[in-house]
Amino acid sequence: MRTFSSLLLAVVLATLPPAHALWPQPRNLRTGSDKLKLSDDFKIHLEAHVPQDMLDAISRTEDFLKKDHLQRLIVGRGSSDTNALTNAKSLSELDLYLESGADANSITTEAQKPIESRDEAYTLNVPNDGSPANITASSTLGLLRGLTTFTQLWYEVDGTIYAADVPIYTHDSPAYPYRGFMLDTARNFFPVSDIKRTLDAMSLVKMNQFHWHVVDSQSFPLQIPEFMDLSIKGAYSSSSVYTPDDVKDIVAYAGARGIDVLVEIDTPGHTSVISKAYPGHIACPEATPWDIFANEPPAGQLRLASNETTNFAANLLAAVARMFPSTIFSTGGDELNANCYDQDPDTQKSLNETGRTLEQALDVFIKTTHKAIEDLGKTPVVWEEMVLKHNVTLNPNTTVLVWEKSENAKTVAQKGYKLIHAASDFFYLDCGAGSWLGASPDSPNWCDPFKTWQHSYTFNPTANLTDDEAKLVLGGQHLLWTEQSGPSNLDSIVWPRAASSAELFWSGPGGNVSHALERLHDLSFRLQQRGVKSIPLQPLWCALRPGVCDAVPHTS
Amino acid sequence: MTQTSFPAFLLLFILLSTLTRVHALWPQPRSLQTGSEALKLSPTFDIIVSGNIHFLPLDLREAISRTKEQVKNDRLGRVVVGRGSSDQPLLFQAKQLDALYLSFGEHATMSSIADEARKPLESRDEAYLLSVPCDGSPATLVANSSLGAFRGLATFTQLWYNFNGTTYALHLPVDIVDSPSYPYRGFMLDTARHYFPVIDIKRMLDAMSWVKLNQLHWHAVDSQSFPLQVPRFMDLAHKGAYSPDEVYTPDDIADIVSYAGARGIDVLIEIDTPGHTSVISKARAEHIACPEFMPWRTFANEPPAGQLRFASPATTNFTASLLEAVATMFPSTLFSPGGDELNTNCYDQDKETQSILSSTGQNLEQALDRFVRTTHQAVIDLGKTPVVWEEMVLVHNVTLHPETIALTWISSDSVKAVAQKGHRIIHAAADFFYLDCGGGGWIAPDLAGNGYCDPFKTWQHAYSFDPLANLTTEEATLVLGGEHLLWTEQSSSANLDPIVWPRAAASAELYWTGPGGNTSDALSRLHDLSFRLQKRGVNAIPIQPLWCALRPGACDLPTTSST
Repeated sequence: MRTFSSLLLAVVLATLPPAHALWPQPRNLRTGSDKLKLSDDFKIHLEAHVPQDMLDAISRTEDFLKKDHLQRLIVGRGSSDTNALTNAKSLSELDLYLESGADANSITTEAQKPIESRDEAYTLNVPNDGSPANITASSTLGLLRGLTTFTQLWYEVDGTIYAADVPIYTHDSPAYPYRGFMLDTARNFFPVSDIKRTLDAMSLVKMNQFHWHVVDSQSFPLQIPEFMDLSIKGAYSSSSVYTPDDVKDIVAYAGARGIDVLVEIDTPGHTSVISKAYPGHIACPEATPWDIFANEPPAGQLRLASNETTNFAANLLAAVARMFPSTIFSTGGDELNANCYDQDPDTQKSLNETGRTLEQALDVFIKTTHKAIEDLGKTPVVWEEMVLKHNVTLNPNTTVLVWEKSENAKTVAQKGYKLIHAASDFFYLDCGAGSWLGASPDSPNWCDPFKTWQHSYTFNPTANLTDDEAKLVLGGQHLLWTEQSGPSNLDSIVWPRAASSAELFWSGPGGNVSHALERLHDLSFRLQQRGVKSIPLQPLWCALRPGVCDAVPHTS
Repeated sequence: MTQTSFPAFLLLFILLSTLTRVHALWPQPRSLQTGSEALKLSPTFDIIVSGNIHFLPLDLREAISRTKEQVKNDRLGRVVVGRGSSDQPLLFQAKQLDALYLSFGEHATMSSIADEARKPLESRDEAYLLSVPCDGSPATLVANSSLGAFRGLATFTQLWYNFNGTTYALHLPVDIVDSPSYPYRGFMLDTARHYFPVIDIKRMLDAMSWVKLNQLHWHAVDSQSFPLQVPRFMDLAHKGAYSPDEVYTPDDIADIVSYAGARGIDVLIEIDTPGHTSVISKARAEHIACPEFMPWRTFANEPPAGQLRFASPATTNFTASLLEAVATMFPSTLFSPGGDELNTNCYDQDKETQSILSSTGQNLEQALDRFVRTTHQAVIDLGKTPVVWEEMVLVHNVTLHPETIALTWISSDSVKAVAQKGHRIIHAAADFFYLDCGGGGWIAPDLAGNGYCDPFKTWQHAYSFDPLANLTTEEATLVLGGEHLLWTEQSSSANLDPIVWPRAAASAELYWTGPGGNTSDALSRLHDLSFRLQKRGVNAIPIQPLWCALRPGACDLPTTSST
């Protein structure tokens, strides 16, 4: 009995920590304890008419398996696995199955469907006896998610590629249909290659929505064929632009990776730069002192009370919306400054002529511009003020980004709108690095402190919501406002932190932070292997010894 | 008379344009006179050594060629709206600069930049005079040492911008009389919590030299890993490095030291003792008390626990030999044996230590005194000055050589006490200069995510530090300078550049130009520096939207909001 119990203890210890480090954690996972090698002639098979982006995803997967070369994050980096590997079976085949009756649409088509009709579920089965592994799904998008999980099973030691915890079976699907990342390309510009690398990283953690805050008051990098002068006069430079071909390239690259692109043209605020090409449409352009006209410099907002400006904005939004296949489109709507309009003679004149208040004029503006989007079959996405601060008529399908603080989700839900969590107190990646306004020492940033991955990971998406209200939560996203970011720190400020919301909204809330930490280390190293400059969360010494660097070490 | 008098509006225009920004030199020279003319750089521009110099050290010759490369290849557009397009009318009539004449003072003795940079702190001569006329006649750079000449060259490269292929400078003529306020201007890198390849360290050295930093403080090893290959102690790295690839070979070290030297930078190597040494237990188990003991919090400030058994004569001798072996690898006159965060509980619970203490009748502090004297003597015998963390002066009762320099780190408030004890000081305070703060705690699972030294230390905060606060005039003479520090619990190659640059430049200017600089004026120059660093391959981060960088002052908080 003595021998048995110490053996039992050894077994228990050996299974803790789990060798697999999937991120996001599948919602349903059964694992064994055998090793499995990847055969040199390993191939992925899919019988069926296969769309091109699915074929590409298969060959990318085969590439990742061969090239990730990730060593296990344990002391010795996997050298202790070599004995077990001599007797391990080899896997030479992964078979993909589309369920009967399923459409063999492209991944892109599936990813660009309306949010709630995307089918990302899959079943993955990896036996331990060397017989073929398989992934079954009812859409190519589901197959892609399964392939992504599959790539995270593999490690390398001394040239051998192997999985550590087979057999593995998972039936997996996301808890929330919207799992996003927002990038602001207006405060500072990011080349297409940076956006693509970010899309690759997003895809690795099964994010499905790139929210592209493409323009703002500071610059207008988006080339719109009908409105070329906006970027000619408003981009930071003639090379800091996204051409229509760049946009197509980004949308296609995203789509092939299971990501839909939600483009945002923030209106009527955050539009100062439009004054460079269309001064007639902008009130208080670059007015100073900026702080009485805007939340940040430069001031300048669309003259929402003007008919011409309203039509201009509607045409602009429609032109941009036509460049993006997504069924959602963001018209923005945050941080409107009333003083800018109070002091704008042009706006006051319009209001006098029509007998409208500013809010009534805003209502007309919103109805008109949103209609332009809806006429194209798209659902508007707005920042929370459109629901919480203004008295405007919105289509009941309008989706609301909750950003000022997470508590506002309750009020938005009470008003019956679908919502996306984007709260600054949990998901703003830019907070905590000091104020960028001015040069005065020690001014805090408005959203201090830094939001750690642990903080966002422990967010409760349905806090204070009734069951009915909870149904309105579509998911959430991390956001990078780029006042203090550029290509030089994009990866390091985003990864691996943004992965915490990817798991939160895929696996669901309530995950254990200690267990997540060791998997997050693994993800961070895999991201590095794939060329994303994800940062370390702890000294490597700690990453190799799960739990040992906890405040109260869980191995003691 | 009427022809020479300026129309009033033109005068106003000139005033305004000189008010917004003159030059974007970083650090700001201590004496700078500027004019209002433009000057183009000739395509055949050359740097010519004049005077009776018969021998030019190789590293100075290389620095001269790098300078010529930089002025040609930086291709930095001016950080103003239009990126220099508005400068074109000025350039139309501008003269061309064909040459910079470099000469040395009468009493100059010619040795390499590296030799000058490695002199004792207070005897390094970094002064230079730089004049760039606007009439096309040669610019002149005069120094008393190759190191001073090198500093002048660094300044010269920062004068130049590019628009449409034309390299030009504005606000000529320029006359600069420059030398540093403080002799120690450093940057500390920890290569033990995470390993950094040699190429990263070299890139840091390049960036350091461009802002005239002169000291790399290399915290090479710590409890987590021992990447330093030390001859006669090869087992330490063999068993203590994170992997066989994550090591600094003796050749790597020689390479780093010479790369630094050629860039006017001395390397202060630190082997932290007797704490922060857990990893030595992998190779020399007998020398380490409480190795990797758990729960770590009762044995160390961070995991893993483990400290040198300093009460043991064998361990003391081992340490003295180790320090000596490392010290001989580095030509600097400074060497740091560390000395921070000693945990007494580790020794209280270490039977071996307790048995030695009882047999010798010493208490722990007495044993420490002996250890410190012996190990420091090994360093002093090599002609080197020990540099210690503040606890050696403030917390422990140990005999230090009076020349010993203290790094004040726990708080800037410790400076006064160290000065009162008469030791020279390097500012390295966590509350001003720790670059790792504010990124969330790394001890898990910390849900609030607070780090030990929150919040983030902004560049403005470090820039407005007063190195002489609360010090008497006499105590003030003990301040040698200061450094920014990067502890790398949450840093690696992936975020080295963005976490360090441009923030570390704040202390570079503080200790070169002296305190009291205006942060608004500094901001626009710091943007310029940040963009120039990017042009030279360092991933310095933006500190504002480009819109603000191009419009100095436009993103300041208006006075209306502070009232």
